[in-house]
Amino acid sequence: MSATAEALSPAAEAVRGAIADGRIGDRLWLYSNYHCNLTCAYCLTESAPRSPRRLLDPEEMIAAADEAVKLGFGRLGVTGGEPFLIKELPELIAELSRRLPVILNTNATLFTDKLLARVAPLAELPVTFQISLDSADPEANDELRGPRNFAKVVDAIPKLVELGIDLRVATTGDDRSPEEMERLCALHLELGVPEDHHLVRPIVNRGRALPGQMGIHMTSRELQPELTLSAEGAFWSPFAPTVFEGRSDTDLLVSRQRLPLEVPAAAMLSIVDSDPEGPDLSLGIRCG
Amino acid sequence: MSNVELIESQQAPLLVQGYYGPDGSASPITRALAQVPELAEVALPFIGRALAPGVLDERTVEIIVLRVSALNACPYCVATHTVLAWDAGLSEAETGALGSPAGERGRFEPREEALVAFCEAFCAAPSPVPRKLLDALRDQGFADHELVDLALVAGVTLMLNRFCTALGLEPSEATRERLEAVEAAA
Repeated sequence: MSATAEALSPAAEAVRGAIADGRIGDRLWLYSNYHCNLTCAYCLTESAPRSPRRLLDPEEMIAAADEAVKLGFGRLGVTGGEPFLIKELPELIAELSRRLPVILNTNATLFTDKLLARVAPLAELPVTFQISLDSADPEANDELRGPRNFAKVVDAIPKLVELGIDLRVATTGDDRSPEEMERLCALHLELGVPEDHHLVRPIVNRGRALPGQMGIHMTSRELQPELTLSAEGAFWSPFAPTVFEGRSDTDLLVSRQRLPLEVPAAAMLSIVDSDPEGPDLSLGIRCG
Repeated sequence: MSNVELIESQQAPLLVQGYYGPDGSASPITRALAQVPELAEVALPFIGRALAPGVLDERTVEIIVLRVSALNACPYCVATHTVLAWDAGLSEAETGALGSPAGERGRFEPREEALVAFCEAFCAAPSPVPRKLLDALRDQGFADHELVDLALVAGVTLMLNRFCTALGLEPSEATRERLEAVEAAA
């Protein structure tokens, strides 16, 4: 060990080992906020313009990223709510990406020329924007994601491509016909997003999807453990800090304490290690 | 109504799920602590171990818990441990005496009278328990390690009294039914 290397506690070493061998996912997720300019039909967090914001302090996000590096995490994810409702987000993402590569989930509906100019420097950093687009049919897309969503997204994507921002398109809901998927793939290719940058994920039957019984029910056994911090605490997965009828779910809560990151990470590891062996029920869904 | 949400089994955090029964039941204390799973994970085994019979037998533990709870005016703990004390073999008259704030001297054998006197000194002020009370316990056969356990049981009880009263926890339905049945029969 070098003279400057910081010794890790046994618990932190155990977490490093678990991340290295894949028992804990190597991406740390940060819920920057819960509010959103959209009100999507399947939103896990019931996000909407007037939702409680439940902000994660940017300084805490940076501190978490610093600790994530020490614990052996390899990637960061930032999600919400709509992260771009946070004023300082472009600069925050730049800071985070100097620690670990970042994937940023966004609805891509807030990209004014001014904001585009602020995100432009992110093209030079290890940052990927993951943009939601659910259908090549504007009506079908907007039925899930809100009026004029389709038009705003297909307007924003080429502008971001032109800036050189690394983009992925995420489609929520895996029940589309092959023909629908073909049209959607043709659309994202036309917009400048290659095929291997298109992700399709199921709707999870939590949050706003719950009453309409949309999507699939998931338990901790089916969700990959990916430590996720929100204003409510540390959770099992980015699909976990959900809200139903205004109340935050706790069934996939790992700990209320977020930092030092070693605390929730060690708690998550104790849950992982207590899991009895069983059939592999994993549906392999991930947030990015 | 409690002053905080008590977590039902469907919402029990991962670290705490094992403390809920197969039918989803859990004590109000467990359901409150489930709000902070990383604390529940250490607090519940600690509370369970501290109040379990071991160095001290079950009857002794219940006498301490019930008397301390009555002196601290904790309705939740008095109700719950009245029922648990019956299960430990105490009579209704004994739990009635221990569970009333004023208490009732002379009901118990000298060993248990010394225990009650210890509880009353323990709760009276944050000061050392008078030596003569400790000597009285030693005269009844209590060794130092038992005095330590006794103080720990009283201390954990005091913590729970404050916790349950501050959060407005109400006894479980099962406890209320047992108490009501005895009251109806009286």
